Amino acid sequence: MRYADFTAHDLLLLLQGLGVSLALFAATTAIGLAIGLVWAALRYYRVPLLAALAALLAELLKNSPVLVQLFLVFFGLPVLLETDLTPVQAALITLSGNTAAFVYVIAVSAIEAVGRDQLETARVFGLSRWQTLRRIVAPQAAAFALGPLAGLLVNQLQVTSLISVIGVVDLTKVGAILNLRTLKPFIVWTVIGLLYYLAARLIAGACARLETRLRAHREWKGL
Amino acid sequence: MIHIEGATKRFGANTILDGIDLRVAPGEVVSILGPSGSGKSTLIRCINGLERLDGGFISVDGHRVDDPKGLQLARRCSGTVFQLFNLYPHMTALQNVTLAPIEVLKTPRARAEQEGRELLASVGLAERADTYPAQLSGGQRQRVGICRALAMKPRYLLLDEVTSALDPEMTGEVLAILARLAAGGTTMLFVTHEIEFARQISQRIVFLDGGKLVADLSTARFFAADGGLAQPRIAQFLSKMTK
Repeated sequence: MRYADFTAHDLLLLLQGLGVSLALFAATTAIGLAIGLVWAALRYYRVPLLAALAALLAELLKNSPVLVQLFLVFFGLPVLLETDLTPVQAALITLSGNTAAFVYVIAVSAIEAVGRDQLETARVFGLSRWQTLRRIVAPQAAAFALGPLAGLLVNQLQVTSLISVIGVVDLTKVGAILNLRTLKPFIVWTVIGLLYYLAARLIAGACARLETRLRAHREWKGL
Repeated sequence: MIHIEGATKRFGANTILDGIDLRVAPGEVVSILGPSGSGKSTLIRCINGLERLDGGFISVDGHRVDDPKGLQLARRCSGTVFQLFNLYPHMTALQNVTLAPIEVLKTPRARAEQEGRELLASVGLAERADTYPAQLSGGQRQRVGICRALAMKPRYLLLDEVTSALDPEMTGEVLAILARLAAGGTTMLFVTHEIEFARQISQRIVFLDGGKLVADLSTARFFAADGGLAQPRIAQFLSKMTK
């Protein structure tokens, strides 16, 4: 029963899986943040048509299961476009879009949370809409958004585990392989779960540190 | 010259401003008195373009505020101080003061900061320049608000009930600064409930009631028994306010 034992090589395999999960998370977060913020900017500038389109797209993406979106992109898109998509490409597209939708929602509500008096004051002092966004709205909205954003990112990290079903060898996929070989599910999934937990804590911690910095001006430091 | 002619503003069925005519010449200090809801604040908000008129027009040094280009130029001429301060909470006192000079007037940062520190020092806040608004008292915040308006070197200072959110001691701090500005020749349009103070610093007093301009008199005439006080509405208001 040699193959049923854990080996040092398994550790390497696990770390590789973790690397894939984190890389995908980092890439989709960066792309999703960029797209979501652009959508929110379309709304801030009240760009006709495009603003409505962004709102509709975000609405569709955040109200349907990521797994369904993943299947649609991985199996559906290649048929529609008559191309091939690798599992990693499909995962990148789906998770980026999903993150973008939630970033949009968070950004819009954070922008709306900035007081009307702040916008009026900036206008009276002659600041342009862009200057107002950059110097007044964005810094205050960012402080409001970081809490919800931390929650979103922790969740999105865990959502990456779904991509194992289309064959991306991420942390969850490595877990499934190890589980089949060793037949020790309790140990394998505990270790996998712990690794996700540690990564999530890291993300939440980083967000909390940034939030403290952005809220440095507040007398009230939160509960 | 701030030139207001036939200014009319409605919110739904309510007429807030009902054909106001008013001129404020450079160097004048004009106080606007009147009961709550008489349209005083709305008049200020129409001058700086935060509300659009439904009739009549307002121009500041010839720049009409109903025209986008004109409004931009009109806003360069006037500085507003707000009732609830409206400081930018994420910026220090100094950053609050220097933001518009740097962004709008394109003043070099070093010069803007030097001028900002001088302004803050002139209102006794030299030590608090690098403090955030949340760490300042109400009176200190409003003094920063005044510096922020003055940093744009406005020809007209619009003051919208700037002491209404302050206790008497802090009100005193702020009024002392305004008295100094008035004595120094700063043009001010001063919406207030501080009647005694208005009497001391202004050359003219305007009384609004129900959106109508009831009186526009020299300060001496306004408080004279055969002048403003001869009008029952004004006499009634003054007796209530000074009780």
